[in-house]
Amino acid sequence: MSDTDQIKYNLLLVGGSPSNLALAHKLVALAKESNQKLSIAILEKAREFGGHIVSGAISNPHVIKKLFPNYEELGFPIEGVCDESFFSVMGAHKKWDVPRPLMPDEFKKEGYFVLTLSYVVSWMANQLKEVIKDVPNVTIDFFPGFSAHEIIYDGNNKVIGVRVSHTERPDDDYVYADVTVFGDKGFLSQDLIQKFDLRQNPQMWSVGVKELWEVPGDYRNKVWHTMGYPLLDGTFGGGFVYGMKNNRLTIGLIISLDSPNPNINPQQQLQEYKKHPWIQEMIREGRLIKYGAALLPEGGYYSLPSKFAVNGAMLAGDALGVLNARRLAGVDMAMECGYQAALVLHEAFKEGNFSQEKLNQYQKNLQGTFVMKDLYESRYFRYAFMENPRLLGEYLPTVSKSIDTGSPFMGMLKVGLSHPLTAPFDGLRVKSLFDGKRDLGPLAYKPCREHIKPDFTPPALDEDTHYRKDTIYSRPDAVFYASTKYHEENHHIDEFEAATCMQCIDTYDAIGKSTPCVSDCTAEVHRVDEIEGARKHGMSLENCIQCRTCEIVCPEANLRVNPTEEGSGPDFLGL
Amino acid sequence: MSGITDIIVLIKQVPDTTSKAGLNPDGTIDRARAKRMLNPFDRYALQAALHVKKTYGGKVTALSMGPPPAVEILLEAIEHGADQGYLLSDRRLAASDTLATAYALHKCILYLGKFDLLFTGLQTTDGDTAQVGPQIAERLDLSQVTYCEGFSIQNGKLHARRIIEGGHQDVITELPALVTVANAYHTLEYKTIRGARLAQELLRDEALKNQYIHTITLDDVNADPELCGLKGSPTIVAHTDKVGQIGGQCTMHQGKSADILIKEIMDCTNIKEFAKQ
Ligand SMILES: Cc1cc2nc3c(=O)[nH]c(=O)nc-3n(C[C@H](O)[C@H](O)[C@H](O)COP(=O)(O)OP(=O)(O)OC[C@H]3O[C@@H](n4cnc5c(N)ncnc54)[C@H](O)[C@@H]3O)c2cc1C
Ligand code: SF4
Ligand code: SF4
Repeated sequence: MSDTDQIKYNLLLVGGSPSNLALAHKLVALAKESNQKLSIAILEKAREFGGHIVSGAISNPHVIKKLFPNYEELGFPIEGVCDESFFSVMGAHKKWDVPRPLMPDEFKKEGYFVLTLSYVVSWMANQLKEVIKDVPNVTIDFFPGFSAHEIIYDGNNKVIGVRVSHTERPDDDYVYADVTVFGDKGFLSQDLIQKFDLRQNPQMWSVGVKELWEVPGDYRNKVWHTMGYPLLDGTFGGGFVYGMKNNRLTIGLIISLDSPNPNINPQQQLQEYKKHPWIQEMIREGRLIKYGAALLPEGGYYSLPSKFAVNGAMLAGDALGVLNARRLAGVDMAMECGYQAALVLHEAFKEGNFSQEKLNQYQKNLQGTFVMKDLYESRYFRYAFMENPRLLGEYLPTVSKSIDTGSPFMGMLKVGLSHPLTAPFDGLRVKSLFDGKRDLGPLAYKPCREHIKPDFTPPALDEDTHYRKDTIYSRPDAVFYASTKYHEENHHIDEFEAATCMQCIDTYDAIGKSTPCVSDCTAEVHRVDEIEGARKHGMSLENCIQCRTCEIVCPEANLRVNPTEEGSGPDFLGL
Repeated sequence: MSGITDIIVLIKQVPDTTSKAGLNPDGTIDRARAKRMLNPFDRYALQAALHVKKTYGGKVTALSMGPPPAVEILLEAIEHGADQGYLLSDRRLAASDTLATAYALHKCILYLGKFDLLFTGLQTTDGDTAQVGPQIAERLDLSQVTYCEGFSIQNGKLHARRIIEGGHQDVITELPALVTVANAYHTLEYKTIRGARLAQELLRDEALKNQYIHTITLDDVNADPELCGLKGSPTIVAHTDKVGQIGGQCTMHQGKSADILIKEIMDCTNIKEFAKQ
């Protein structure tokens, strides 16, 4: 290889993600059988595989078992197998576990794997290095610490590769491939979707914030999903607590960004959640180990792109948007994408055909799997809450309050009595929408940022005051637990127009609020600086944990969070 | 045209300073068990060599002396853009002091042939002598620029800036020359995708690896074994003292909110006593 050769592969995987690594494993297995010659490159922006992965995670193990039938023997890392799951509604002081017969099936997680997804991803990368040793016809180059920054097309709009540096440099910073698969949670693939106008509806994003604790108690294999406190302002979302091995506990909150509230502050909401006596009881004598945040695509079926592939490229996992918000299932969906993409790619490489027509066989194949069946069934799940703001804005707070007085059923009764005409109807309608039994046809969403109402004021939150202060972390303190490290001269977030920010700051100053970027950043990056009498937007980029919340909530679409370079960013390994 | 064709950079593998693994019970380093890393000072030397390559042209050869695992740092140099690596590896080199090391390395440099610039780091983290670079320059009868924090090449001459106490000194010298590079030199550049790719290819393909990374012995470079290793090292280690733990207990208070930190620190008994005094 000389210094001027193009860097070229058969297959380029953007993102060391569950979807892409599942794809690589399956494709290597197929190529081992068929002897198909293949060269593969995997780009991952984190310094190590798994370093930028935040998830819960509780997952149906069906795809893991399909990919690694002898997963136990291979040492596939699992935290445990869920033996008891709860769905609970939270008041500020008490929690009510919904009795089993009333519990929606999607919250019954018995038999599911409890995972630390960053470890799973790290294991999958290492395992790939092992299996490849027995497959001389396939080579894989691993590029942790390298990210894709721009998609490169040929004259016919076929994707031919990516640029791996943020700014265009004269040196060779390009990687080319016959096919590029994006499992990048949209960091770069949003450009592809936009270029080919693939999405009729915008993606609806949620942000998930999560802490990992070491606690005295053993909650292994216990799984809780909660609604209610502290999310009582009508915003869609919920909490989760998963018991892991070695006395560790995952505590997290998922908050939808299509909220009218301009000041959500997800990290502080998580602190509110932790003030609840039930959580306090568990963490009081414990120790925070790690903190992190990431986005979840929750638009579901109607936010899916019209095509899952274009000439020379495919989309997988969260980049495609196959997460099922109703079941909080993203991991198995992403892995199944990888599995199905591998089947199609194996054929494509045999035939040397990388056209959209060939690659999009993948979309048809997914149609026949649980991925598309589940998404179709749940297609109105999020919409049920959107079309009827009473559910989260009135009914949930009423039930939540009554839990604190010890009688959740009273709350439900109250809901029924105060809305005698609407409540029963709402209940039935919601059920039919959840199950997908009622057909409303396609939906139209507006982007999250357009839901923000600057003057929206959330109702005052009742909070329990008996919490231990040192279990609660300010946002700058939390950043420490995300272990961010950046190289010199890092500038990974673009602010397009300074004047737009100044106007936005004026608007929010006038009503005594913070701008959405300042309040909703999960890591104390955005700030307002007084410069010569003017109030301007500034950023402490060295704190950024790469969640992209600011990009989604900026009402003016004035920000773009680019992938970090040189392996910079947070260290989520173990989170 | 700068006329630069060959650049040599000397690099060394050292025990990873961040890992506690690999200490013998007596406190000396167990090199076989210790985690290994490229001597951090040498990253600046490598950066300087690659900077010359980029700015003035030429081929970068990374040269190291050490046991076989030191190939790892040659691969690291290749990831960053070095063109080839040489590893002088020979059992007879064990226990070499700086005199013996400089002797062996200067023989390697003679073996490599023509060069325009020779870069070394300031010192190593495991020996901390800063002697090897200057000794090699003396043996090769080269001009040497130590503590170099910046340079350019003009009309075939090296214009360099040295750090000296209380300021800096500008010097001009003919090439070839030996330069020991200060850590103030340059921001360190990241590995390149081409280099990272090549390093992985070399790990897969032994034959290709042998074209890029050459392991050589004392015989190859025509060095006298009597002047190497323990025999060639006049340095006598009379005895080592284990410094042991200095002071008392250390508790780290970190990552909490300022008021909690202040409270925790104020609660420490020794601080309370200190405050009383
Ligand atoms: C807090 C939280 C809790 C969750 N809980 C659950 C749960 O309990 N169960 C469940 O099933 N799912 C859960 N999910 C969802 C699940 O984690 C995701 O759906 C799943 O991880 C998606 O996988 P993916 O293959 O799309 O890749 P991702 O997990 O999105 O990974 C993308 C990878 O690509 C890398 N990358 C991105 N851009 C670039 C670039 N330009 N260049 C190079 N690399 C790049 C990233 O660093 C990352 O490693 C949760 C998510 C969150 C945030
Ligand atoms: S980045 Fe967006 S939210 Fe922040 S100040 Fe600018 S316009 Fe407003
Ligand atoms: S700056 Fe944006 S991407 Fe970075 S942590 Fe804050 S919200 Fe997330």
